[in-house]
Amino acid sequence: MSKKRRGEPPPEFHTGEWLKGSGADAEIAICTRVRLARNLDGFHFAPVQEPNQARELTDFIVQRLQQPGLPENLVVVELQNLEELERTVLVERHLISRDLANSKKARSVAINQDESVALMVNEEDHLRMQVFQSGLSTEAAWKRAEAFDEALMQRLPLAWSEEFGFLTSCPTNTGTGMRLSVMLHLPGLVWADEILKATNTAQKIHLAVRGLYGEGSKALGDFYQVSNQVTLGRTEQQLQSDVQLAVSRIVQWEREVRDALLRGSSRPRTLDRVHRALGTLERAQILSSEEALGCLSALRFGVHHGLVDGFDIPSLNKALLLSQPAHLQRFTQERLDPEERDQRRAKLLREVLGCEP
Amino acid sequence: MIARPMQFCSICQKAPATIVLMDLNGGSVSSQQHLCSPCAENLGVVQPKAGPVKMSPELLEDLLGAVQSKTARGRRDPACPGCGLTMQQFKNTGRLGCPRCYESFRDDLVPLLRRVHESSQHRGRLPGGTQPVTGAPVQDLVDLRKRLDDAVRGEHYEAAAQLRDELRQAEKGSGSSES
Repeated sequence: MSKKRRGEPPPEFHTGEWLKGSGADAEIAICTRVRLARNLDGFHFAPVQEPNQARELTDFIVQRLQQPGLPENLVVVELQNLEELERTVLVERHLISRDLANSKKARSVAINQDESVALMVNEEDHLRMQVFQSGLSTEAAWKRAEAFDEALMQRLPLAWSEEFGFLTSCPTNTGTGMRLSVMLHLPGLVWADEILKATNTAQKIHLAVRGLYGEGSKALGDFYQVSNQVTLGRTEQQLQSDVQLAVSRIVQWEREVRDALLRGSSRPRTLDRVHRALGTLERAQILSSEEALGCLSALRFGVHHGLVDGFDIPSLNKALLLSQPAHLQRFTQERLDPEERDQRRAKLLREVLGCEP
Repeated sequence: MIARPMQFCSICQKAPATIVLMDLNGGSVSSQQHLCSPCAENLGVVQPKAGPVKMSPELLEDLLGAVQSKTARGRRDPACPGCGLTMQQFKNTGRLGCPRCYESFRDDLVPLLRRVHESSQHRGRLPGGTQPVTGAPVQDLVDLRKRLDDAVRGEHYEAAAQLRDELRQAEKGSGSSES
C-alpha cells in the first residue's frame, strides 16, 4: 500500500486494463472482470447502517488494507473528498459503481497502479473487489482474485457460514459472492440481427446479458456484458468454466457472422456502414455520446478487418473512453453543458483519431 | 444513427415504438408493425431482457408469497436480534441487515435461495482453510434431505416423490450408511 491520497484527482490519461486491447480474443472479448462481494462480521449491512458505523467500517477496512503484504500496491481514494466529476470519471473507467459514486455515506476505493484491481469499500456490501484482465481470460482473472481474497481473509473478519458461504446484503450474491463478467463487442451479431437470439440463448443457461454503456438494458455501440446469475451452489471453478465456455461460443458465433458480413452480397452494406461511420467521425460537428459510440463501434470493426487504413486500436480505445461525458470534460479541462459537450466531443474525436480533414 | 420521426406503438398508442415487426415476402417488406417493448413482450415477439437478478419488492413478493401466508398464520413479523431488521423490511428493500439475518430468517431464505440459485448449499471456497464441499456426496445428501423435508412440509408431494427417488439414488451411489 502506498501513500494515502486525499482528494487528489486520479492518475493522468491511460485506458486502464479493460481497454488495453490485448489478451485472448481481444477484438471481440474486450475484458474479463471478476467481482467478489465480501462483508465483515460485527458490522451491519448498508440498509441499517448508521452514519458513524459507515465511518468506522470504512476506516477499519482502509487501515487493514494498508498493512503490508497485499499482492498488489493499492492507492486509497476517499470518495467524499472527490468532486462529482472525478467520481464519474472512476465510474466511466469501471473502477467504482454509480451507486458508490452517488452514495452520501463514508466510502472509499482502493485501486492498483494499472487499474486492474479495484476494491470498493462500503458499497452495497462492505467490500467489493474487482479484478480486470484484458481479453477473454476467466481463469487468470479468477486466480488473481483468489490470491487477493486469500490476503483479505487473513486481515479481515469476513462473514461466512458453511451453509450459505460468504454472506452478502442481497441474497442474490451470497455463496461465492462472485460475479464473473466479460465485456463483448458484438457488432456482427447486432448488424446480422442475431443478437436477440444470442442473448436469449445465454439467458437460458443462466447468464445475464446487458449493455455495457447507457442506462438500463439498452446496449450502446454494440458493447455487451455477459455474466453468471447464480452465485450459490457451484464452486468458483465451475462458475468460471461455465462462463468461459458460454462466452467462447458467443465469440465463435460473432466470428462466423462477421465472416458472412464480409462476403458476397453482404460485403457492400458492411463496407457502407463502416465508411459512413468514418464519414460521420471525420465531418460531424455535433456528436452525442450515443452516436459516437455507434460510429466508433463500426470503425473498430472496420479497422480490425482491414476495411479502413490509418487507425490503430489503441487510439480507438482512447476515443471510446473520451466519448463519455466525464472523461470528455476532464480531458478538455472544461465544464460543458450537454450541447457544448456534443460539439466538443466531435472535435476531440477528430483529434484523437487523427482524422482532421 | 439516422433520426427518424418518432412512431407510437400501434397497440397501446401510448409508448414510443422501439421495435419494428416486418413481414417479408419474397425479399420485400409486405407489412410492418411498430411496437413498444412491453407490447412486443406481451405478444411474445421478444423475450424480456434479463439483467443480473435485482431484488425488487415485486419479485420478493412473488418469491416469498408462501412465506407471507405462513407468517400470517402463526408468527408475528420477527426481527433479527443482530440488527433489528424485520422480515417485512427485508421484503421492502430486498437487502438483509447483517450476517446474522441469514440465521434469523433461515426458514424463509432457504426457499428463496433455491428459487434464485437452484441451490441453498454453498460449494465454493471458505476462509480459514475450510475445505470447499465440492460435490461431496454427504453434502448432497444433506441438501436433498432438507429439500425433501421442505417439500413434504409445503405439501408439494410430486416434488417430494421425485426428491425421495433422487435421495435413494444418491444414497446408493455414495454407499452411505446413514439412515
